[in-house]
This record gives sequence, structure tokens and C-alpha cells, in this order.
Amino acid sequence: MAELTLFTYRKGDSLLHLLDVRCKFILLCLTSICIFKAHFSSVFLFIFVLIFFFINCRINLLKNLSGLAFFLLLLVLMFISRSVALPGDPVFTLFDISVTKQGMTDGALMVSRFFTIMMAGILFSITTRPASLKNAIQWLLKPVPFVPEKRVAVMVSLALTFLPLILRQANQVSDAQKARLGNLNKNPVKKIVRLSIPLLKKTFVSADNLAFAMEARCYDEDRTDPEFHLSGKEGLFFIGGLVLSACLVLY
Amino acid sequence: MKTPLIKIENLNHSFSDGTCGIRDICLCIDPEEFIILAGRNGSGKTTLIRHFNGLLHPSSGKITLNGNSIFKDINLARKKIGMIFQDADTQIVGDTVFDEVAFGLENLKIERQYITKKVMQVLKQLHLDHLKDRSPATLSGGEKRKLAIAGILVMEPDIILFDEPFSNLDYPGTLSILEILIDLHESGRTIIVAAHNMEAIIAHATRLIIMEDGRIKKDGPPKDLVKTLERFGIKEPCSSRLGFGIQPWQN
Repeated sequence: MAELTLFTYRKGDSLLHLLDVRCKFILLCLTSICIFKAHFSSVFLFIFVLIFFFINCRINLLKNLSGLAFFLLLLVLMFISRSVALPGDPVFTLFDISVTKQGMTDGALMVSRFFTIMMAGILFSITTRPASLKNAIQWLLKPVPFVPEKRVAVMVSLALTFLPLILRQANQVSDAQKARLGNLNKNPVKKIVRLSIPLLKKTFVSADNLAFAMEARCYDEDRTDPEFHLSGKEGLFFIGGLVLSACLVLY
Repeated sequence: MKTPLIKIENLNHSFSDGTCGIRDICLCIDPEEFIILAGRNGSGKTTLIRHFNGLLHPSSGKITLNGNSIFKDINLARKKIGMIFQDADTQIVGDTVFDEVAFGLENLKIERQYITKKVMQVLKQLHLDHLKDRSPATLSGGEKRKLAIAGILVMEPDIILFDEPFSNLDYPGTLSILEILIDLHESGRTIIVAAHNMEAIIAHATRLIIMEDGRIKKDGPPKDLVKTLERFGIKEPCSSRLGFGIQPWQN
């Protein structure tokens, strides 16, 4: 049985679970863009809003933070690089490298913005079924000329469906190599090559089988249109989202 | 004279690298037959059944369904001839059990209301209704195999092809799939099972076809051919070896 990750959809009846996916998707895109203009006060406001929704969805983020270890490490590296790269008043100097006050402030702001976007993304993915996301993409791309919206939507859906399978296959390949003491070789390039060749082979075979299975069930781009479920609260959420986006840009 | 359900005349298939998959296959399949297509690995079983619904195009020869070439209306052929693949993981497209079963009907552009009704009916029939919102990735091997069957049953096929239906299944999983196969046959469907181990199903089959090197070597009632199986690299069922004839797994 596959493991649930922090980004896996979890069934629920919270406000966000019931909200129409198109509304959620538009607001996620809007706030993610607006947050790059935000200052500390509005970033904290957004974090409070997100904490409210995490509690509403009954998700304990602190318990799941281990799944974000690499992302948190990336944030730390970003903070360090901004702290030393930006000129300003030095706080302390080590081996001729100065950590500046302005750099630390800018780094902290940048890190908090990325962290907030990640939190919003997690909230979106755990309250949205991948099929609904596919439907939303199809609906949003429909008015765009020369874009085959149904094909794009199916590709997104397949990518989301097959990601856990590819990860599982990667684990199997890695375990099979460890079983033959492959872990004794410390060269990272060799390790990647040894992992990626059998994994790519397996992935291509799986893709071939998938194509056969889809054909066997009469796959056609001209399919039954998706249906959307409105909760009735979309208007209120949309206004709230616009106000929040305005706050992010202005404060 | 009665027209056979499927008629195959002088079917040959060569792969792009020149190797011959199947040679000179001539076969008639009547309604309500339960056929086991047996043979060792690489004998051409999968290649042959992939021609039944047009997934592979023959190099030469003809396949007809109710007297008409399957390529005349390929979607009709694929609706009438359902196929369950060996690896359930790579044929699952939907991100919930419900969506996975609905996939085939959506391809046929069936009305949404009918899809919902029909999918629920099939899920209940296979005792999967309590899992309808679950991600297929989180199901057990037996449940995934059942889900693959549900995805085909929903399209109301007359003939169902199973490619190694018991591979990688534990004993309860095998029994549960066996029960479904028997029920499907009793409901009037034609069942064709490609297998190299027929311990579980041979007692229920009405016909046994043995393949070797891409050719049909033997074709007849299982009781007449069971003693010849090991000549073709197929294990003879235990009960037959011990002199008890062909005994069913289920009473």
C-alpha cells in the first residue's frame, strides 16, 4: 500500500474541501503572485489565515514538517545567501564574509514568502482531488486559443496519478541496488546513473502499458465534460481572497 | 450455420525487430465459452489477445466480431471485448476508485447521470463501493485487480480477456478474483484467460488452448489435454498429478 505524503489529497468536509476547485485555484494563483510584493505585516496576516484553514481541515502541520525537510533546508540556504550577498550594515564578519542587517531582513522576508506559498500549496493539494484540479485546468484553458485543453488536463492528471508509482519504482530500484551493496559506492554521479537507467526503462514500459490500457477502454479526447460542485460560499471566498491579495500588495 | 462470436483467420504478427509473435492462428470462439489460453512465457498468449480488441494490428490475417472486422468499428470492438491487463498498477488512470471506473464511460461520452448510476452499480457488484473515494494507489493488490475488472465491467462487454489474472496475488486475493471470473461466466459472458499457471481455474474452463512458439499446438476440453500440459512447459494441476482428475478450488 502506498504511503500518504503531505501533498496527498485527504478526504474531509472542511470549508476548503467543499469549495469549488476553480475558485480555490484562481485564489491560489492570485495570492501566490501578490505575495512577492508583500511585507512582513501582510505575510503574517496570510500565515494566520492559513493556520485557520489548517485547523479547520484538522491537519497538524507541525507533525508533518519532517516531510518538508529538504524544502526547509533550501529556505535556510536562501536565507544565508541573502544575508551575505546583500550589502549593508554588518552584524558580524567571518572569514572576510559579512552578514548584513539588511541582508538578514531581506532574507527573512523572502524565506517567509516562499514558506507561505508552500503552505498555501499544501493546503490546496490536501483539500483538492487531482481529478478536480484536472477539471479546473480544462475549464480555465477552454477560452485560450490553440491550446488543446482536454489533452493538457489528461496529461496533468496522469502526471499526478503516476508520480507515486514512479517514486515507488525508484525506491524498489534503490533497494535492489542496496541489497547488492550498491550503497558502498559513494560517487553520487555513478549512483544517479545506476538509479536512473533502470528507472527510466521501467517508466517507459509502464507508459507503454498505460497507453494500451487507455486504448483498450476507448480513450478519446472528446469525453464527457467534467462536473463542478458549488458550495455556495464561492462569492464570499472570492471577495475575501481579493481583499487579502490587495492587503498583500499594499502593506 | 451459426456465426462464431470471434473468428480469427490465418493471423500472423511480426514485431518491428522482425521477431515473429504469432503465426498462422485460426480460431473460432463461441458465446459463453470459458477458454484458457495456456503457454510458457513468450509463447505468444499476450500478443494474441492484444489482437482481439485491435490493440495490436496483425501483419496478416483477419479478426471478426459477430461477422464484422473489428477494425470496421474499433470502439465498438473495444466496448464489447474488455481486457484486464497483467499489471493493475499501470492500467489505473483515475485518482479515485470512482473516477477509475468511470473512465471508459467518459470516453464513450455517456451522460454524467448514467455514468454515476452505472459506476455505483458495478462498485456494489464487486464490493468496492465503500472504497469509492479512495486513491487506487492505496489499495491492496487484490483490490486493485478487482478495480481493473470494475473499469471494464462498467462498459458491459460480452467478452472479457484476462491476462494472467492471478499473478502477484495472495490466496484470498486469488479466491476473490476466481469467484468474480466464475460469476461473470455464469452471467453469460465469454471469458478468455491467458495464463501459464492454471491450478485455480482449469476446473471451470470449457476449453483449453495450448500455445508454443506463437502457434496453437492443442485445442480441446481441459480434461483431454491436462496430461499433455507439461510437454509444453506448463505445470499440471496437483489434483490431476495425484490422480484425482481436475478438481475445483471452490465448492
